[in-house]
Amino acid sequence: MADSKAVTLRTRKFMTNRLLSRRQFVIDVLHPGRANVSKSELKEKLASLYEVKDANCIFVFKFRTHFGGGKSTGFGLIYDNLDAAKKYEPKYRLIRNGLATKVEKSRKQMKERKNRAKKIRGVKKTKAGDAAKKK
Amino acid sequence: MSGQRESSETLARKDAPRLLALLKEMKEGLDVVKSKVEAITVKVKQDKFRTAEGISYLEAKHLLLLSYCQSIVYYLLRKAKGLSIEGHPVVRNLVEIRLFLEKIRPIDKKLDYQIQKLTKAAEGGPDEIITGDKKELNKSQTEEDPLKFRPNPDMLVSKSAPEEGAGGVYRPPKFAPTAMDDDDKISKKEKQALRREKALLQQSKQNSFVNELMANFEDRPEEVREIVGAESRELTRYLAKREAKERQEEELFTRAPITRHEKKLEKHMTKSRNGLLGMTDGFHDDVKMLPLEERENDGPTEYSAMERGGKRNKKRKARF
Repeated sequence: MADSKAVTLRTRKFMTNRLLSRRQFVIDVLHPGRANVSKSELKEKLASLYEVKDANCIFVFKFRTHFGGGKSTGFGLIYDNLDAAKKYEPKYRLIRNGLATKVEKSRKQMKERKNRAKKIRGVKKTKAGDAAKKK
Repeated sequence: MSGQRESSETLARKDAPRLLALLKEMKEGLDVVKSKVEAITVKVKQDKFRTAEGISYLEAKHLLLLSYCQSIVYYLLRKAKGLSIEGHPVVRNLVEIRLFLEKIRPIDKKLDYQIQKLTKAAEGGPDEIITGDKKELNKSQTEEDPLKFRPNPDMLVSKSAPEEGAGGVYRPPKFAPTAMDDDDKISKKEKQALRREKALLQQSKQNSFVNELMANFEDRPEEVREIVGAESRELTRYLAKREAKERQEEELFTRAPITRHEKKLEKHMTKSRNGLLGMTDGFHDDVKMLPLEERENDGPTEYSAMERGGKRNKKRKARF
């Protein structure tokens, strides 16, 4: 990545959240003359800044560029270990970091199944039931 | 050495009568206790108290008190004989039991009501039924009986019942404390002065000169933003709102979702950013701030929020 102009990171409102075993803060990124900084680059910079052993435990999200460009603000979390991260983070962020995989559910299939189940009442809504119905 | 001994002897001689009195009291107390304990032991021997299901709270308390008394007596005995008590287990015992007694004191307080009721029922039970005097019953019902903790609708004082004061004066019922603002005492002139001050404060916040001064004093790091020409009032207001919103979001560590209207607004702001928009904004305001002439009573204060013309002055149509 050609870093033609300097990117500066500043963290504000730093707080150690012992209940969720993580450190959370607001990140200010100054990138004059450049479009947004990618999240992976920010993670690397944070890892070097806070001396984190595992870069997988860092999550950055909700970045918004200020009016006029050059500065963006977002939130960051650094978990103590990977288990805590897997326990407390919402699924979509884990997927973004590559710690979980997205379950591809076909929307159409699900809706069909639901509509079939509407016709039956009670405990009989088993798979065998709708396989039979499909026939 | 001999001097000390003599002083201790004089002390002993002084305290002797007091000591005698205290010892006499103790002996009397112990005699009473002894008689009661003997009665209880007789009953226990007759197998009237069963402790198979564990000791009840009151019995445990009795035992604690008894052992406390025993320890105190033994302690005094040792002291009277002149033997040292340092490191003797009886002191530790005393402290322990004292601690226990202190700890169960709050439980005692809570059980107090029940115990009183029980004792009263135990001694006066048959008597109450016999003396069915109507007058007495009525009296006990209307008075506040501290031992009758059940909902008693007769004791309710009606809030809304108007009480006729002396001479038929209406006195409103007092439920909640109210503060009396002396609104009537502020004259119209004073109110106008207050309003003028408020408006002045608002205007000064928007004035660029004053803002520069303030920034100088507050030592804030200088943020140079890319401005083409003068910043229009619209833009400054928009930016102020956005900054306030961002501060709130950072506080709560979340983000509010952006509505369609907000997106349109942002688009409009970025597109129409040519510097000429801000030129005619507040043409007179900066001049007004400077104290060039004496303008004390300038007539009605001008409110910048609502310019003259009202709705006709809207620069753009709010229809996206």
